[in-house]
Amino acid sequence: MGTNVTASAGKDVPVSVVLPFYLYAGLSFFVATLLLFFSSESLGGHHFQPKILAITHAMALGWGTMMILGASYQLVPVLVESKLQSIVLAKTSFWLAALGIPMLVYGFHTFQLNWISHLGGVAIVAAVLCYAINLAWSVSKSGTESVQAVFVLTASLWLLLTTAWGLLLLLNFSMSTFPADSLVYLSAHAHIGIIGWFLLLVMGVGSKLIPMFLISKYSQDKLLWLIYALTNGALVLFLLLELNPHLQISQYPSAAMMGAGLLVFAFYCRSAYQHRIRKKLDPQMKISLLAVALLLLSFSVLVALINLVDTGEDTGRLVFAYGFSIFFGWITAIILGMTFKTLPFIVWNLVYRHQSSRRKTPDPNALFSHTVFRVMFILYGLGFIGVFAGILIANHFIIQSGAFLMILAALLYVWNLGMVAMHKPENLNSHE
Amino acid sequence: MNENQVKQHLQEVIDPEIGLNIVDLGLVYGIKLDQKSIQVTMTLTTQFCPMGTSIVESVEEVLKESYPDHAVEVSLTFEPRWNAAMISAEGKAFLDG
Repeated sequence: MGTNVTASAGKDVPVSVVLPFYLYAGLSFFVATLLLFFSSESLGGHHFQPKILAITHAMALGWGTMMILGASYQLVPVLVESKLQSIVLAKTSFWLAALGIPMLVYGFHTFQLNWISHLGGVAIVAAVLCYAINLAWSVSKSGTESVQAVFVLTASLWLLLTTAWGLLLLLNFSMSTFPADSLVYLSAHAHIGIIGWFLLLVMGVGSKLIPMFLISKYSQDKLLWLIYALTNGALVLFLLLELNPHLQISQYPSAAMMGAGLLVFAFYCRSAYQHRIRKKLDPQMKISLLAVALLLLSFSVLVALINLVDTGEDTGRLVFAYGFSIFFGWITAIILGMTFKTLPFIVWNLVYRHQSSRRKTPDPNALFSHTVFRVMFILYGLGFIGVFAGILIANHFIIQSGAFLMILAALLYVWNLGMVAMHKPENLNSHE
Repeated sequence: MNENQVKQHLQEVIDPEIGLNIVDLGLVYGIKLDQKSIQVTMTLTTQFCPMGTSIVESVEEVLKESYPDHAVEVSLTFEPRWNAAMISAEGKAFLDG
């Protein structure tokens, strides 16, 4: 009844595929916090301005998307129960995105949206295309049906639409690819990315990894299909209403659908938590579960925003608070936690796998500093509260103080990332 | 040499993520012994587990070290699929702590 071990050997995704994404994402996070600090005065005016676009894209693409792409290549085999089909496509996606993102972000920051930023946008779309093809290919080779595979595959298609839409918006500045001003289509572009890509992916991957890391007996595919239907349904309804303003229908129905999806997901996570066998939570899991709470914060701000839009009041500050709570809130929190639930094991596997059995090797969790992680967590939390509160009460000093704490948190994150990435094998005899 | 002694050796192999040995984790489905060989049938907590190769290689290494005169064969199966109910009482107590 068994499969010989040789059948599973060599299926691991090479570290050289995954590690560059992690390092690139870490540096992008650091750069984005610096941009936030030096552009904090911009957080008062209209949201459609160069420096805000630069920060948003550094966070959404350089930090969030690059990290998720890298982690996906490692986790796809677990999620879809099939090996990653193409290492070449995975490496190509890195180089295309790695070159394209700074070209685009620099273009936004200086507001010189010329051929360089256009080329950057094309490279990013091409990178996402490589990722989506690789993913679809891997899913097609899987012999099992997995709801998580559907989540991840759908998310990759929404990402492709987000980046293609973004490229057309970029070209619209000089070529009029859309019938109206780019600002009209900005919210649709942003929400395809936030809900279709980030949220759907986080829900799909989280629904597999949270019970797995907690060693939970809980599993409920029907709930996951419900979450899938509610999230995608909410996004489609949002787009219909957003792109047809003449209908003059409030976004409350789409928000209610999204809220229902989030509540069911929160219920799923809570059930997995309650049925867990591993009682003690490590700090990485705590910060990841905090991300679920931050998701609900973003949603609350969204509801307040819809109310302002419907009553015709100024949405200025709340738009910033909403965007900040997404990119520096739940997306960042989940990445900060999950980085150290995945990367130490990837590196440990590279360094120690062929040397000895586990009894002689260090614990993978010992590859990074837990003290640095804890301090990073505290600085990040205080920084987040500072900037978020500063935006709401329009206090520049508080915003900049929070942004400074975020810079320190990003530095500590990069420090720990480097510590794991540059880990050298220990003298194994000392562990015997 | 009997099955229990082999199991004791296999308890030296730890799942790196969970920190629990593979016997109490319920990954070892069967052990067959004869004068010349040891056959272990085992599973992983999830198919395509990133640490899978490392765990299987550790099993081979531990058995080859303990029984140098025997041929060691490790077979992976995912039927039945592993689930948390397969963890032993000792394993649950360890994870509870």
